[in-house]
Amino acid sequence: MSIEQFKNRNVSDDYFLVDIEDYPTDGWGKFKRVVKRTFQGELFVGLWVVLREMIKFDIHTVQYPKEKMPIGPRYRAVHEMKRLWESGTERCIGCGLCEKICISDCIRMETRIDENSRKEVSEYSINLGRCIFCGYCAEVCPELAITHGGRYENASEQRAHFVMYEDMLTPIDMLKAGQQQEFDGFGAITPHEDERVKKTPLAY
Amino acid sequence: MSNLINFTIDGKAVTAKKGETILTVARREGIYIPTMCYISKTTPCASCRMCVVEAEGVEGFVLSCNTPPTNGIAITTNTQALENERTNIMKLYDVNHPLECGVCDKSGECDLQNKTLEFNVSKQNFSARDQHRKIENWGLISYDPALCILCEKCVHVCNEVIGDDAIDLQFGGYKSKVIPKNSDTLDCTYCGECIAVCPVGALISTNFKYSANAWELTRVPATCAHCSGGCSLEYETRHTGISSKDNSIYRVKNNFEFSSLCGAGRFGFGFDNKTTKNPDAFARAFDAIVNAKAIRFSSMITNEEALLLQRLKESLGIKLYNEDARKYALFMEAYASISGKKHHSATLEAVKQADAVIVIGSMIATDNPAVRYAMTTAAKHNGAKIIYAHPIEDALMQNTITQFLKYEVGTEEGVLALIAKYLLADCELGSDEKAFFDALDDGYLSAESNIGEEELSLMMKSLMRTKNRVLVVGNDLIAHKEAKNIAKLVAVIEKYSDISVLVVPRDVNTLGVSLTCKLDCDDNSLENVVGYNEKGSFVIASLAGADLATPALNQQEGTFVSIDNRVIPTNAALAFDGYELHDLAKELGVGKQNTIDFTKELPQESGFKALEFDVLENFLAPLGEDVRGYMLDQVEVAMDGSLDELDALPEFNGTIIYNVNPVLQFNAYTNIASQLERDTTLRGSAQFGAAARISDGDQVEISFGDKTFVRTFKQEESLKGTVALNPTFDLEGNMESYRFQKSKIVRVNHE
Ligand code: SF4
Ligand code: SF4
Ligand code: SF4
Ligand code: SF4
Ligand code: SF4
Ligand code: FES
Repeated sequence: MSIEQFKNRNVSDDYFLVDIEDYPTDGWGKFKRVVKRTFQGELFVGLWVVLREMIKFDIHTVQYPKEKMPIGPRYRAVHEMKRLWESGTERCIGCGLCEKICISDCIRMETRIDENSRKEVSEYSINLGRCIFCGYCAEVCPELAITHGGRYENASEQRAHFVMYEDMLTPIDMLKAGQQQEFDGFGAITPHEDERVKKTPLAY
Repeated sequence: MSNLINFTIDGKAVTAKKGETILTVARREGIYIPTMCYISKTTPCASCRMCVVEAEGVEGFVLSCNTPPTNGIAITTNTQALENERTNIMKLYDVNHPLECGVCDKSGECDLQNKTLEFNVSKQNFSARDQHRKIENWGLISYDPALCILCEKCVHVCNEVIGDDAIDLQFGGYKSKVIPKNSDTLDCTYCGECIAVCPVGALISTNFKYSANAWELTRVPATCAHCSGGCSLEYETRHTGISSKDNSIYRVKNNFEFSSLCGAGRFGFGFDNKTTKNPDAFARAFDAIVNAKAIRFSSMITNEEALLLQRLKESLGIKLYNEDARKYALFMEAYASISGKKHHSATLEAVKQADAVIVIGSMIATDNPAVRYAMTTAAKHNGAKIIYAHPIEDALMQNTITQFLKYEVGTEEGVLALIAKYLLADCELGSDEKAFFDALDDGYLSAESNIGEEELSLMMKSLMRTKNRVLVVGNDLIAHKEAKNIAKLVAVIEKYSDISVLVVPRDVNTLGVSLTCKLDCDDNSLENVVGYNEKGSFVIASLAGADLATPALNQQEGTFVSIDNRVIPTNAALAFDGYELHDLAKELGVGKQNTIDFTKELPQESGFKALEFDVLENFLAPLGEDVRGYMLDQVEVAMDGSLDELDALPEFNGTIIYNVNPVLQFNAYTNIASQLERDTTLRGSAQFGAAARISDGDQVEISFGDKTFVRTFKQEESLKGTVALNPTFDLEGNMESYRFQKSKIVRVNHE
């Protein structure tokens, strides 16, 4: 292969050169261009469109922050921590996989053994100032405990900006009211999963 | 070459040495045979049957882990039938195994998890009635019977390597579990080896439990900083938590397949020093050193810092004090004047391979657990005879020793002379030595030391037909008043017989310091002494209360010289924000860029090699060979010494204490490690209590030399005799003197 092939930029015969006027080179030429652009009246075309829609009262603008667009279930905004539907206990088992996989190293957690000899998450925080909302944490979580929610307002006066476990956890009354949103994205339980589960044979 | 066996594994021609099994040969040749219960440092547990192979002409399967090959046999390791057998074993292991990998401490490094995935066991086809199994908390160790796969590794190491023999399997079919042996709860030396070898999450460190996961921890290869064993270990570090930016050590692990750790190494890692840079203190330290007459330092130091102190000595013209290393150096000097060699000849590996070990002058189980484990290994695996000579019987050694020679306190020189005479009876001696032994007054020595002719003959009978013999020499000989002559006796034994010698250094780097520094005799007469991890008028130390804080040994890189005469690197597990000794040295004009730049300058006349720190390896090879650092070169010296005639043996009467540390404790650093038990009581027998007129629980004031301190007296059933044991790990100042001390003990009123 020769270098000429790469130098030939006529990739296809459908390509054509746009007819662009030469740029003015002297002062007089530039002055002429300014005058021409200013008095051509194209500006008023745009203004007319706005005025026309205003008169018709057909407004499509979302009145943010009074109203918000519905957000897709897979949108990856501020994380949520889920509870088990049956018992209300927290789903997170403290396995630390989310902390490990986090690409921007913004999850940090502490675990310990609780009074019932179970593993307990004693501290959990995400630094949203560093989070790139990649979704890895939600994807790796074996318990469907951490998911992304739809809350995307993250403005804050500092770069570092933490959410704690309690802030992300579904409030127990919301759970009881059946308002916990399940995550439908990757890793979520497929519909009718119950029917596919095989029971261990018991000889007794 | 009748010792070699030729056979084939999977068509590959291989050769086995005597004593090797099919599995060891396969591993050496890089042929994979799955195992679940095999551990290289013990005899095969043979409980898992995963290691089955087929042998041509043999009906059924053969366990490769405990079967030696025969000449010409053809072994196959990977047929479909074997695969099915192994898969079935894995299926059985997984029956009712709790589905808790998500929280289990072992997850990520679990043999069961790995093999379950390897054999693709994704469902349970069998069942057994599940039952409630209580999680046991045995102090530093927790046991979850539900996770236990009954591989027996823990029982084997405890019995065959450690020597505590503290746990056992309780058989009961599906109800089988590990239990403390002959006791309700675990009563052992808490070495934690059982935790290390457990392939699943059944035996776990109680304090570590659920605090971190295997995949979050960073491993820092290092060397244990508590005794001279030079055990290799890995500190595992991670961030402390969400409120701190610093790392902390979460646990210590070791290459348990081949090496062992004691409890102080495994659980006593929390001795790092925290501070920030304090320029004022630094300036004061600078002035203190410039004005000092001497620097007193401990052997808890790297070779590099020791060399740095030596350079300071040379450039400032001050004295260097370290009584522990100085005594060791003097001992070895006297030893070399007869043996002609600067370094002792044995290593821990030699002890492991030995068929007879004589220990004298050391409560070895607590002085140096690595030696104890090596002796246990020798006793259990080679049936080695262990002769243990000491004034105090040690309950920890009960399972291991063949013969206990109880001698009178202070008579070490006489005892060694007698032992030497018997050991060398059939050897061709030089004329000087012959004259020395001929002139020996056996009757007097026997009477004074209480070692009779029968005991010595019994010893000789045990040693008959033994070929690999090691003499282990403890601190009581090194710190003895007659250490010089004792050292020469030791050298004579080595020179004229096939016995090799191991002289146990007291502290982590006693040996390294003794080879690196020219030390001066410390008679406590100077006022203006800077202490480096020692007492002094200005103290630079990694312990609380120092005038200038410096990093502890797990925050430093550098090298130690272990008991094996091996120069081993250690690395910094945690960062240190303050100043280190080297910063002072730089100001004083003897510094380099980094402390480890001194590694290649360690004195070659002592056997060091001119190697950079960064070329030193710090791991055990796949088959267990120790490739850490390098071995010191042997240095030949002039043989100009001769034995001195024995003076009258000293007599110790009255209340005698023995300065020796309890299990898990060594020094001021183990003292501050939060997980380790701190037994600061004076322990003695009922007989001692009666003689000193004190009873169990009394507060007593103990004084000897210039030291006075108060302890609680604890009467212990396992102790006999008239000597009480006094811990030193919590005491200030140099305890390098002879460890038996006649002392005044008076009861003080409590409150
Ligand atoms: S979304 Fe990505 S960056 Fe953010 S916490 Fe999860 S893993 Fe980390
Ligand atoms: S991956 Fe899920 S279960 Fe594991 S620690 Fe993170 S949130 Fe908890
Ligand atoms: S012992 Fe191993 S297989 Fe069992 S729960 Fe723990 S990690 Fe999983
Ligand atoms: S900690 Fe050591 S001595 Fe105690 S049971 Fe385990 S292996 Fe045996
Ligand atoms: S506790 Fe661990 S090492 Fe001991 S038998 Fe059970 S699985 Fe094996
Ligand atoms: S390795 Fe041979 S039986 Fe377990």
